Amino acid sequence: MQLTAEQRAVLEGARGPYLAQCMRWLVEWGQVMGARRLIPVTNTHVLLPAPNLMARGASERTIETYVGGLKQACSYRTAPGCLCTVHTLFLTMDELDVPENTPGEVRRQREVAELAAKAGFINTYTCTPYLAGNVPLQGEICAWTESSAVVYANSILGARTTRHGNESAIAASLLGVVPEFGVLLDEGRKGTLRVEVSAHLDSPTDWGALGYFAGKLAGLGIPVFHGAPRPTQDDARQLCAALATSGGVSMCHIVGVTPEAPTLEAAFRGDVPAESATFTDETLRQTYAALRNHTGEEIDSVILGCPHASLGEIAAYAALLEGRRVAPGVRLWVNTARGIKAYADQIGYTRIIEEAGGRILCDTCPTNMRMAARRIVTNGFKQAHYARGMVGAEVIVAETAACVRAAVAGRWLGDE
Amino acid sequence: MSEVLEIRARGVVKGRAAGPALVADATLSFWGEVDPVTGQVIAVGHPLEGRSLKGVVLVIRSTKGSSATPMVLNLAQLEGTAPAAFVNVEVDSLAALGCIVNRIPMVTDLERDPFEVIRSGDHLEVDAEAGVLRVMTAEGGLW
Repeated sequence: MQLTAEQRAVLEGARGPYLAQCMRWLVEWGQVMGARRLIPVTNTHVLLPAPNLMARGASERTIETYVGGLKQACSYRTAPGCLCTVHTLFLTMDELDVPENTPGEVRRQREVAELAAKAGFINTYTCTPYLAGNVPLQGEICAWTESSAVVYANSILGARTTRHGNESAIAASLLGVVPEFGVLLDEGRKGTLRVEVSAHLDSPTDWGALGYFAGKLAGLGIPVFHGAPRPTQDDARQLCAALATSGGVSMCHIVGVTPEAPTLEAAFRGDVPAESATFTDETLRQTYAALRNHTGEEIDSVILGCPHASLGEIAAYAALLEGRRVAPGVRLWVNTARGIKAYADQIGYTRIIEEAGGRILCDTCPTNMRMAARRIVTNGFKQAHYARGMVGAEVIVAETAACVRAAVAGRWLGDE
Repeated sequence: MSEVLEIRARGVVKGRAAGPALVADATLSFWGEVDPVTGQVIAVGHPLEGRSLKGVVLVIRSTKGSSATPMVLNLAQLEGTAPAAFVNVEVDSLAALGCIVNRIPMVTDLERDPFEVIRSGDHLEVDAEAGVLRVMTAEGGLW
């Protein structure tokens, strides 16, 4: 890989051993992934979480070493001109009366938060930076963690980011460069799998099903959706999250929606494959059925907002819950970014949701916290998929109105 | 361990390591599907569900899913439960990053289909410097 004299000097230690290590991560990663150079990055979304119960039972030494690494990263300054926002945590900074949210871990996270803010990171604590003020421009080079947000940035906004992990995103934030490979390059954005959509997609969760189906087939490739109706923003968010759950997708093309895919030909850069996968009403039904693993109807948790809920979704949740009451013993959580909750507080949605017995959870989500639950109803395919293993709960994935009906009844009543 | 099969491969992340093979023609996300403390695969319905990744040479199609995969790999490395090496058919940028940061060797582009010639429990030596994978199997080998 070709490095500038300045990049080489950093690699050789001119700015100290930690930044040399950051440069080594980026250079080695770039070499492995086929990059020829490092290019400027103006937008990052980084992971700075204390492990908490994500690493339940880990030794104190492991946690201290990991958090020590985060603190070290936060003792530098983010690169000038680079907007650096921060991903979700494994706990919430709010006082929360659940055993998973321990005061000791919150204190540890606050120490990191303070250093991060001084370093220039903006502590948004969300998986949806694009809802919290970080909306990259078309073509903007980004370095984002959060697999669902990566797909959204590339596919819906037309920005460019490869799938980043914590170390690469931190290094990019401090050094202001990323290795140029994959979807950062025009040829790396070419579709690899054609998906013909004939199913009726009536809710964001239905779009999640489409993503869950296609992600598994696409693997690390780039699915192209043809024949689908125009998605709403929330539809697109569910699609992107599910694609990066069953698959390792960096981007997709929705023909007529993705900025660089006005036509099927454009999505494949002229090379349209004859063969395609098809997503029919029957595939849609099967995709829901395959993920659900409940053995009974009683429920204890309803989780909405994976990815973090938009203001529009919170308004819809409030409308469904107004004047109703969540059943005793059922936890109804709405996960969102703190900035979105501030709006919800001010507009009054929070009050309606809380009066109904629900709660708005910021900074994290129950799966990230490995919250204890036995049977979960959720409107997110990503949440449902991971909650099965991370929480050890049975899951029912369903569109929002069915989730709220279940919350009020205290039992799963079916989709209709 | 009477038979040895040498397979040419491309070294992705340099280094050498050995261990028992854990094989699945499947993809895996480390965050959400692997517990870094026990080293076990926790994904419900995954072909490796309940299996430990500690010290194994992980032969899978690729990683997928969460961007916290390098983080979980880092925690697993600190806890001593990480795989010894990766043999992946396709290279996900997140597995590559996790292997670079944690100095775990990785190879890809095998000249043979690993799911045809490697079985879980075979002893594997991964030499990502020379680009060679050695498979040692007991009786009843696959070739």
